Amino acid sequence: MQTTHSVTATINGRAETFEVVGLESLMDVLRNRLHLSGTKEGCREGECGACTVLLDGKPINSCAYIARAAEGREIETIEGLNDDLSYRLKQAIVETGGVQCGYCTPGIIVMLSSLLRRTDAPDEALIREALSGNICRCTGYAQIVDAVLAVIDGNKGAGS
Amino acid sequence: MSHIGSSAIRSDAWSKASGEAIYAYDYKEAGMLYGYLLRSRHAAGELVRLDLTKARAMPGVRAVICAADVPETLAGWSMLDTPLFARDRVRYIGEPIAAIAADSLAEAHAAAEEIDFEIIPGTPMLDMEAACRTDAPLVHADWQSYVPAEGSDFPRHGNVAAECSADPGGVDEIFATAPLVVEDEFTSQRQYQAYLEPKSAVAIYRDRRFIIHTGHQFPFNVRARVAQFMAVAPTDVRVLGHTIGGGFGGKLDYSVEPHAAALSKAAGGKPVKLANHRVEDLITANCRENTIVKMRSALDKDGNILARDVEAYMDNGAYTGEMSYMASFPFHLGAITYRVGKFRAVGKLVYTNTPPTGAMRGVSGPAMYAALENHMDNIAAKLGADRREYRLRHLFVDGDKLPNGQVLDNATILKRGFDEIEKIVPWSERPNNKSERPKSGKPSRTAPYKGSGLAAAIWLVNPLPGSLSLKLEEDGTVSVNTAATDNGSGVLAAGIPQIIAETLGIRPEQVRIPYPDTDVSAWDGGSQGGRTLQTVGLAAIEGAKEVRGKLLSHAAQLLQVDVSALTIKDGGIYLSGDTKRRMTVAEVATAATFSGAPIQGSGGAALPAVPYNPGCANGLLFPYFTSPTYHVHYAEVEVSPVSGNVAVTRYIVAQDVGRVINRASITGQIQGAVAQSIGYALYESMRFAEDGHIIEDNLQFYRLPLAVDIPRVEYIAMEQDSEEGPFGAKGSGEAPVLLPAAVITNAVRDAIGKPVRKIPITPEDVLEALDGIGE
Repeated sequence: MQTTHSVTATINGRAETFEVVGLESLMDVLRNRLHLSGTKEGCREGECGACTVLLDGKPINSCAYIARAAEGREIETIEGLNDDLSYRLKQAIVETGGVQCGYCTPGIIVMLSSLLRRTDAPDEALIREALSGNICRCTGYAQIVDAVLAVIDGNKGAGS
Repeated sequence: MSHIGSSAIRSDAWSKASGEAIYAYDYKEAGMLYGYLLRSRHAAGELVRLDLTKARAMPGVRAVICAADVPETLAGWSMLDTPLFARDRVRYIGEPIAAIAADSLAEAHAAAEEIDFEIIPGTPMLDMEAACRTDAPLVHADWQSYVPAEGSDFPRHGNVAAECSADPGGVDEIFATAPLVVEDEFTSQRQYQAYLEPKSAVAIYRDRRFIIHTGHQFPFNVRARVAQFMAVAPTDVRVLGHTIGGGFGGKLDYSVEPHAAALSKAAGGKPVKLANHRVEDLITANCRENTIVKMRSALDKDGNILARDVEAYMDNGAYTGEMSYMASFPFHLGAITYRVGKFRAVGKLVYTNTPPTGAMRGVSGPAMYAALENHMDNIAAKLGADRREYRLRHLFVDGDKLPNGQVLDNATILKRGFDEIEKIVPWSERPNNKSERPKSGKPSRTAPYKGSGLAAAIWLVNPLPGSLSLKLEEDGTVSVNTAATDNGSGVLAAGIPQIIAETLGIRPEQVRIPYPDTDVSAWDGGSQGGRTLQTVGLAAIEGAKEVRGKLLSHAAQLLQVDVSALTIKDGGIYLSGDTKRRMTVAEVATAATFSGAPIQGSGGAALPAVPYNPGCANGLLFPYFTSPTYHVHYAEVEVSPVSGNVAVTRYIVAQDVGRVINRASITGQIQGAVAQSIGYALYESMRFAEDGHIIEDNLQFYRLPLAVDIPRVEYIAMEQDSEEGPFGAKGSGEAPVLLPAAVITNAVRDAIGKPVRKIPITPEDVLEALDGIGE
C-alpha cells in the first residue's frame, strides 16, 4: 500500500499544497494534479529534458525528481516564466524558427532561461553544452541556438 | 510585398513555446479512464492460456479485453495480416495480448499483473536471409490466406511478404565477361522516429460510433484502420486531430487508437486514454526497416557501368503495415542518379519475429543511397578514379531515365548541385590526410583523421491527393478546413497560409487552419513525403482563387463597377491603378455573409501521374516518382583514433526546392533532417538480442543526436520553378534526410582509408577498422 503525503511548495510564486502518493514524480504532480501541462512528458527516465523545470533556480528533470522532496522548495515551470528575459527568449525562438513540433520547446526555454540568468553572454559552444540535456528531434538545434544569440545581441544593444 | 519566400512566423509557435499548446499526450476528457496494454515478452510463441477473470475483478477496473472480445478480423494498410490482439500466437516482443481500462493508471497496471496467461516460447525468426530459405519456419503459417487491403495480389511467398524484381536478361553474361566487377554489401539498422511526444489516443464509443482524439499525421488513415479492426464503416469512426509532438512517419498508421476504441466500447462508452510509455513506444514503433543491400557492378575498361545487380533484404517485422510498397525501392534506387547499363534487381520484404517496421522520413531511401554511394566510392577506388570526377562523368542529365522508364526532364540540375558545392568548398581543397596515415601497424597518432564525402540523390513527392475548403469570415480572415496536418514542419502554420494570403491579397496571419476532424474536414493524404506544401498548396490556390473571384464579384456589385477593374491588396479592395482603398475585404465579407451568400471556396489537387513502363518489373507496387527532386550533399568529418568518435565538422546541402515558400521553415527542415540522418549514420544503434528483444530499448541507450553533435548545415536552395507546385514550390521537407548516411560513411572511409559497410558507424567499428590498418 502506497502512502500519501501532503507537500507544500512554492509553484510559480504561489504556495501550493498537494497530495503525493509514494514516489510520485514531480512531473506527474505538475501535470496531473496542478494541470501544468507545459511541463512535457517525453521519456520518464531523465533523458529527453522535455520536463525540465527550475528547482530553487536550478534546472532539473522533473520526471526523475520525487515530488515529496519538493517540500518547502521553489519550483518554476514554463507557465511561471514570465520575466522579461524568458519573454524575450520565447519571442526569439518563435522568430528564428526554433519551434517545430514544439514538444521540447518549453523544457528548452526553461533550460535556456536558467543559462541566461547565470551567464550574461554565453558563446555558442556553451549554449550547445547547456542544451545537451534537451533532445530536439525536429530542428537540428541551429535555430534554437540562434534564438539565444539573438537575445544576447539584444542585451548588448540595451546596455550600450 | 510578396509573402512567398518570407520567413512568416508560424501561427502555433507562441502556444508551443509558452507551454499553452495541448498535445494529444496532454489531452483529457471528462470521466476519462486510463488504459494499459499487456504486451508479449516473447518474440515467438504459442498463446495457450488467457484468463481475464481475476483482472476483471480488480479494484477500479472497468474493462479488460483480449482477442476474444473484438471482431475476428485482420487489418492493415497494405496487407490484411494484423490482428488487434494476439490470438493463438505471439509474433514479436511488444505485441498486444490484452487491454485494461481502469479509473487510474496504477489500477490498470495492477490488473495487468493479474491476467493469467501462458505462452509456450518458440524460436524467433530474426535473420532475414535465413527466413528466405525455402525450408525456413514460417512467421505466418497462414500467409497464403492473406489478402491485400486493396488491389490485386502481388508476388510473395513464405516469409517473403512482398517481392519486387526486374531482370532484363543477359546480366550474368555481362558480369562473366566484364574486365572489372565490383561487389559490395551494406547493412543498416532500424531507425526509431523518436518524435518527442510518445503515441497516445483518447477514444470514446458514443452513439454507436468511435470518436478518436489523437495526434496523427494522417487522420483518414487512422479512421480506416480503426474501422477495419472494429469491423465498422469508415464513417462510424470520427478522428479529431490534436497538436502533434513530431511524427517523421511514425504517426502515419495506427498505434494505440483501435485498442483504445475497443476498450471504450467495452467500458460502456467511457472515454479511455492509452498513452505509450517511452520504452513501450520505442520497442513497438514502426521503425525505418533494417536492410541488407548486396550491390555489384560490371565495368568496362573505361569505368562505364555495363550492368548492375542488386539484391536487397528489408525487414518487415511481424506484420506488414505499408511496407509492401517499400519493396519497390531497391528497384527504383539500385540504378539511379548515375548511368547504368543493364539492371537486375530484387527487393525482398521479409517477415521476422520483430516489431513491424514502417515509414520513417524518406522511407527506404537513406539505406539504399548509403549502399549505392558507398558502392560508387568503391568503384572509383578500384578504378583509381577521383570520386567526384567519376560521379560527374556518369551523372544523370535531362532526358535520362529511371529504371522504370520514367524520363527525367530536369536531371541536369544535379550538375548545378555539384557546382554550387564546389563554389563553397573546392574539391581540391577538401581535407585530406592520406599522406599522414600510417602504412602499417596501429595508429600512433592522437590527432583526428579528416575526410570528406560527396553524394547525390533523386527523390519524389508523395503522390496522394489533398483537398480543403475555405470560408471568408466577416472580419476578412480566412478559416480553412482540411484533414492535412502540421506535424511540426510549419506547413499549415505558415506555408499554406502564405500561399492563401498571397493569392487573396491578405496577410498570412489572417489565415487559420485548425486541426482536422474527419467528420467535416476535406480528405487529405497525410503529412508525408513532402506532399503537404506542394499538393495542399495547389488545392489552396484553387480554393483561394474561388474565394477571390466571389469576393471581387460581390465588391463589384457593391461598388457598381466592373469586376475586372478591381484588385485586392493588403486586405483592401482597390480600383486598378488607383491608390485609394474603396472597401476592405472585411466589409465585403460582412455584406456577403448577411446577404445570405457567404463567401466560400474549395480546392483539390493530385500530382500528375507519370508515364512509365509497366513491364519494367514484377510486383512494382510503387510505380513511379511523382514530381522528382534533386539533391547533392557534402560532408567533412574528423575521426578520433583515440575514442573512435566521428565528428561531422561541416555539412553542405544543395537542394532543388522549386521555390522557397518559407525561408525559416526550409532552413529548419534541412537542418533537422540532416541531424536525424547524422543520428542514423553515427549514433542510433538498434540491435536485437537472440531472444528478439531490442538491446537499445530506451533513450539512454538509443542515442539521439544532441546540440553538441550537430554542425550548422549550410545550404543552397536551388530555385527552379516547378509547373507542378504552388508558386513553383516542390515539397522539400523530407528529402534532405536521404543523403547524410551516404556522405558520412564515405567521409569516414576517406578519413580512415578503410571501407565502411554498415550504419551506424559506432566508435567500436572505427577502432576495429583502425586496428586493422596495414593488415
